[in-house]
Order: sequence, then C-alpha cells, then structure tokens
Amino acid sequence: MHALEVRNLTKTFNSTVAVDNASFEVPDGSIFGLIGRNGAGKTTTIRMMMNIYLPDNGEVILRGADVGRNFKSKVGYLPEERGLYKKMTVMDTLLYFAEVKGKAGKNVVAAANNYLKKFDLYDRRTSKVQDLSKGNQQKLQFITTVLHDPEFLILDEPFSGLDPINTNLLKEIILEMKQKGKVIIFSTHLMEFAEKMCDHIAMIDHGKIILKGSLSEIKAKFAQRNVSLVHDGDIAFLRNNPIVEKIEDFGNTTGIRVKETGDVQKLLKLLVDNNVTVKKFDANDISLHEIFIELAGHESNKPEEVKHV
Amino acid sequence: MFNYRTIAVFKREIKEKLMSKSFILMTILLPVFMFGIMGIQTLLMSYNEETRASLDLVTESYELTLAFENEFAQREFVKNGNMVFYYFTMSREEFENYLKKNKQDIISEKKTGMIFIPSSALQDKEVEYYAKTGKDITLTEKLGGAINKVLIENYFGTKDLTQDELDYARKWVDIASYKVSEKDEVEKEGYGNLILSYLFAFLLYMSLLMMGQMTMNSVIEEKNSRVVEVLLSSVSSKELMTGKILGASATGTLQMAIWLLPVIMVVSTSWFVLPDKYMFSVTAFQMIYMLVNFFMGLITFLGLFATVGAIFESQQDAQSGMWPVMLLAIIPFFIAMSLVMNPNSPIGQIASLLPFASIIVMPTKMALVDIPIWQLVLAMTVNIGTIFAIFPIAGKIYRVGILRTGKKPSWNEIVSWVKYKY
Repeated sequence: MHALEVRNLTKTFNSTVAVDNASFEVPDGSIFGLIGRNGAGKTTTIRMMMNIYLPDNGEVILRGADVGRNFKSKVGYLPEERGLYKKMTVMDTLLYFAEVKGKAGKNVVAAANNYLKKFDLYDRRTSKVQDLSKGNQQKLQFITTVLHDPEFLILDEPFSGLDPINTNLLKEIILEMKQKGKVIIFSTHLMEFAEKMCDHIAMIDHGKIILKGSLSEIKAKFAQRNVSLVHDGDIAFLRNNPIVEKIEDFGNTTGIRVKETGDVQKLLKLLVDNNVTVKKFDANDISLHEIFIELAGHESNKPEEVKHV
Repeated sequence: MFNYRTIAVFKREIKEKLMSKSFILMTILLPVFMFGIMGIQTLLMSYNEETRASLDLVTESYELTLAFENEFAQREFVKNGNMVFYYFTMSREEFENYLKKNKQDIISEKKTGMIFIPSSALQDKEVEYYAKTGKDITLTEKLGGAINKVLIENYFGTKDLTQDELDYARKWVDIASYKVSEKDEVEKEGYGNLILSYLFAFLLYMSLLMMGQMTMNSVIEEKNSRVVEVLLSSVSSKELMTGKILGASATGTLQMAIWLLPVIMVVSTSWFVLPDKYMFSVTAFQMIYMLVNFFMGLITFLGLFATVGAIFESQQDAQSGMWPVMLLAIIPFFIAMSLVMNPNSPIGQIASLLPFASIIVMPTKMALVDIPIWQLVLAMTVNIGTIFAIFPIAGKIYRVGILRTGKKPSWNEIVSWVKYKY
C-alpha cells in the first residue's frame, strides 16, 4: 500500500488549468520529489494535498483511506513562501505551531529545547523573531515544521533562498527524518537536489504529470542510449554522424545520445579512431536534468502520455 | 469548527492583543482623553465668559436709555467690569451715521459692537446687534435676558401691574423630568443618564473601530509575512478566522468591561458619590445586555474587517476597502447621538433593531428609556441572524483572499471569489 496517493487531481483558476488530472503514488519510507519548472503546478498540487485548496476534481488517499481533517496534524509543512510572526518570541512561536497541531505540554517544551540547542538557537529562545538573522529565522522555521514529530514532511521548494549552511542543515533534517521512517515529499525545480536525494519522483509540466516512478529505474531506462563524456580534442565531427541523435554540452561533460542501444560501443570506437583523448566515458549515465530537458524542454514537443516506469 | 486548533488560535489572538502597546494605551488613555476633552471644553467655555467686551448701547429715547443704564448697572457682567457699556440716545439716521463713522473701531476690535434698540422694539422686541462677529452666541445670550427684562418692564410698566405679576410673567417654565418605568417608584431624572448614553455611544463606537482596525491589521500582517500558509497547513481557513474573530471579540468585550467598571462601581457601591444632578441609574441587566450585545456586534463587524484585511496586502490599500465597513459604524453612531435629543425618534426606533446599527444604538437608547424585552430579544436575534448570513460569504472571500498576492483586486473580482470553489 502506498503511504499517500494522489488521484486525478485537477484545479482550474478562472480559465487557467493549473493542475490537470495529476496522479502519483508516494511509497512508504521514501523521499519523493515533485519536480518541474516554476509555474508547472507544483505548489498548487501540494496545496491541494494539504487541503489548503479544494480540488475541482480528484482525491488524496492516505494509506488507502481518504485524507481526513486530521491529516494536517500528521504533516510538517514548509511552504515556499515561509513566514513567522515577527513579534512573537522564539519559544512562543514553537509552542504555538505545535499547539495548532495538537501537541502541547512538557514533552513539547523539552523537544523544543533539544532542537534549539541542536540548532544553536537555545540562547535566543526569548528573543523576538524579528530580532533574529534571516538564517536563524529559517532555522526556526525548520524546527516548527518538525517539532510535532510528523509522519509526513511536505516541503515546497525547500532549498530556495537558503544559504549553504542552512541547505546542509535541511538536508540533514530530511535524511534524519527518512531514517526515522517518515515519508518526505518535496517539490523543487533544482534537478541536482532531486537527483541526489529522491528515491521516487513525479515530473510535472504544464499541470500534467509527464513522468513518474523510482528514480533509479527511470534513469536506467533513459540512460541506455546516453553517454556522459569527458574528453580532450575536437568532437565536432560527431554532429553529422548517423549514429548520434543528440549532443549536449554541459561544460565539463558532454551528453551524447546515440540512436540505437548497440551504438554506444561504436561511438567509443569512433572517438578513439578520431584521436580524441577520452578521460571519462560513462555509458548508462543520464542526469535528471537531461531527462527533464528531453521530456519538457521543447515547447513544440509536448509529450501527451505519462511515461510510467 | 471549535476544536483544539481554533482554541489555540483564539488564545494567541487574545494574548497578542492584550499585550500589544496600542491596546494597553487605548484602554487607559481613552477615558483620560475623554475627560480631558470635556475638561478642555469646560475650560474654554469659562474662559469665554471672561472675555472683555466694550459695547455701545443706543436707543431712540432718553427714558429707554436710562432704563437700560439702570438695569445693566445691577448686572454681574457690568459690576465685575467684564463688559463696559457706553449709552447713547439717537434716532435711526443718526445711529447709521454714527455706525459708519465708527466702523473702523469695530473692525479693529477697539469696540466689540453696538446694540441698537429702536422704539419699535417696545412693540415687537426686535433689537439689532452690530459687531465683527454678529453671531456671538455667548454674548447675545447673556445680554438677551437683561434686554428682555427692560423691555418687559417698560411695556407692562404703563399697564398698571404689580411687581409680582411682572415677575410671574417673566419667569421661565421649569420642567422637572420624572422617569416612569417598570420600577415601583417614579424617579426624578437628572442629566446622569443623558451623559451615560453619550458615553455608551462613544465607547461602543471607539472600541468597535479600534478592534476592527487591529483585527484587520493582524490579518494583513499574517498575509504579508506569509505566515498564513504555514498556519493553513495546520488549521483550516474557517478555524483560523473563527479563532481570530472570537479572540479579538473577547478582548474587545474585556476592554469595554474595563471602561464600564467605573459606571458599575458608581451604581453598585458607595465608594463614589456623584451630585444628584449627575446621578444615573443603570441595572445589572442593562450592563450585561450591553456587553453581550457588544460581543456579538464585534463578531459581526470583525468578520467584515478581517475580510477586508484578507483582500488587501498593505494597510494603505486596505484603507480604501475599509470605508463601507466604517460607514456601518459611523451612521449608527450619529443616530445614537441624535437619540439624546429625542430618545423616541422613529429613526432611532428602527435603527435599534437593525443589524449593525443596533450594536451602538440599542445600548444608547437603553440608557435613556425603558425598552420592552421583546425588542431586546428581537435585536439580539437579528444580530445572530446577521452573523449567520454574512459569515459564509465573508469566510469565502477571506479564504480566497489570504492566499492571494500581487495586484489589488477589483470589486468585480472580489464578487467572483464568492463563486469560487476553493
């Protein structure tokens, strides 16, 4: 059984279809990435999952049953547009956000103190939020998201606007939650993060889910005809070669896709024959970024069918 | 709708408002400010009385001039030297020339003014006052009595009446007011309840607007600081709105109770003694009704203020959306003020039962006249009905509004929000 299942969610604003019949499944114990560019419908989907927006159509299923009102208490949610009450103290903020999730009492205070110590905020616990630095406000926001010990963590563009230190901190939190067996769902337009962290993904473009499944399987499928190359020398001759479908220069590496699976070996021979110094030749490697570009990169080439792996 | 989430929001709202500087300041300062205003007014009035005036009094006959001179000499305002009179006898043409000649003196305020009493005034009591400020009410009021007395005496003096008869004719009717109510004894009524009704109208109005503004700002702040989406991941917009409005309403009612404390203490204890003239009577029932009524009124109004707050992103923008709601408080306030002149006016009667208006008008009216129970019940029922009628719509706009950012929405857009499936 899936931990969370999104079925046929649709949301229209005026005449714009923001999310169009989106369905995906989040397995238990996984880090799930909802990826897509800005404006693709990620936030709207997440807001519908959180019952902040009422979907025009479709439903969200929690462990086989319709999500009830208490789902919200089981979730730690970090919206893209984050905020805190500026005039509340750090401790009051933590206790308030735990209280609206139904958690109050000594245990919460103890947990709050632990987190504050861990995040180097303990000596600021009586300060007002407005007196904290932006980085510290972000830390405080993370704590409010996890303090009530949620089963699910839903993070909307969690890495946007974070400095490197807080980015690492958030990564740690996410991995720690994963180890505790929580389900983590995050949306991002940063493919590198999704690639490094997610087990499962759903790719959304123009409100439609265009790809979903386990990341390793997706990569395996897409990688069969892809080669990641690091080289010295001119490879311009490949551009007109009949076995090559596409060449994309990423700076340090070059992504090459051949037309047939068996052409990978021919490609290597071709490079050696043409006196190109091959420093790294990685067959079966494709970045999520490349997959995304392939599926959603060209406006003219909109894939209609969901590729399910 | 009422669960731990709503209660958490409710508690935070009360704590935030009670601890806010503006709430504490207003709660303490408003009574100080009100008494201050009254004090300043009294001070200004008494200061007015001491202004010095130099006046010419002109009549067309020597006897009349003499009569005025004798009468005025006995008056306080001449005795204490505040007003100095110069008496002249001249015909109308002569006076007109004299006025023309001395015009500059009046304009330069060397002379305060000239009173011309033509002989015809002995028949029709019409006298003329020439001054830079012709409608000087304190001055003309003060002199009116004295002039009237001379004219009356002159008129009746030739008619062979005794002084007693003259005194009787001159005496003004004195109406002593007694309030007949359900109570056994008939009470002689002073100015106390009149002042009380002013006080009620003013306090209700001030507190309503103040709590409204505070609630609106707090909604705007939540929207602006983006904390609202974090909140919505825990509470529904309905729970959030309910908690906020109930919290603010409870705070406002508490504020009102604090303001009314002196009134309650005067009635229920003997710690304060007011002069009879200013003594008022209110019952415990009236006070409780007023607080309950106000609590419900706050719920209604704050629902609207919160909705306005949800529509706009900054306080400046919100000012433009606030006026329709403000009018709902301002118009009843003026109706309540007019009630003091005529407690039984039909407008007041209707307004005391209308939604929104009854919140200010009913308590004001209650301080002045006895109101049948059925009217109180009706007003309360109308208020509760209003809450149920406006909240589904207000809640919808609130729900759509709080997550909207970007350009200021037009009225048409707001109307279309109501139809959204959100």
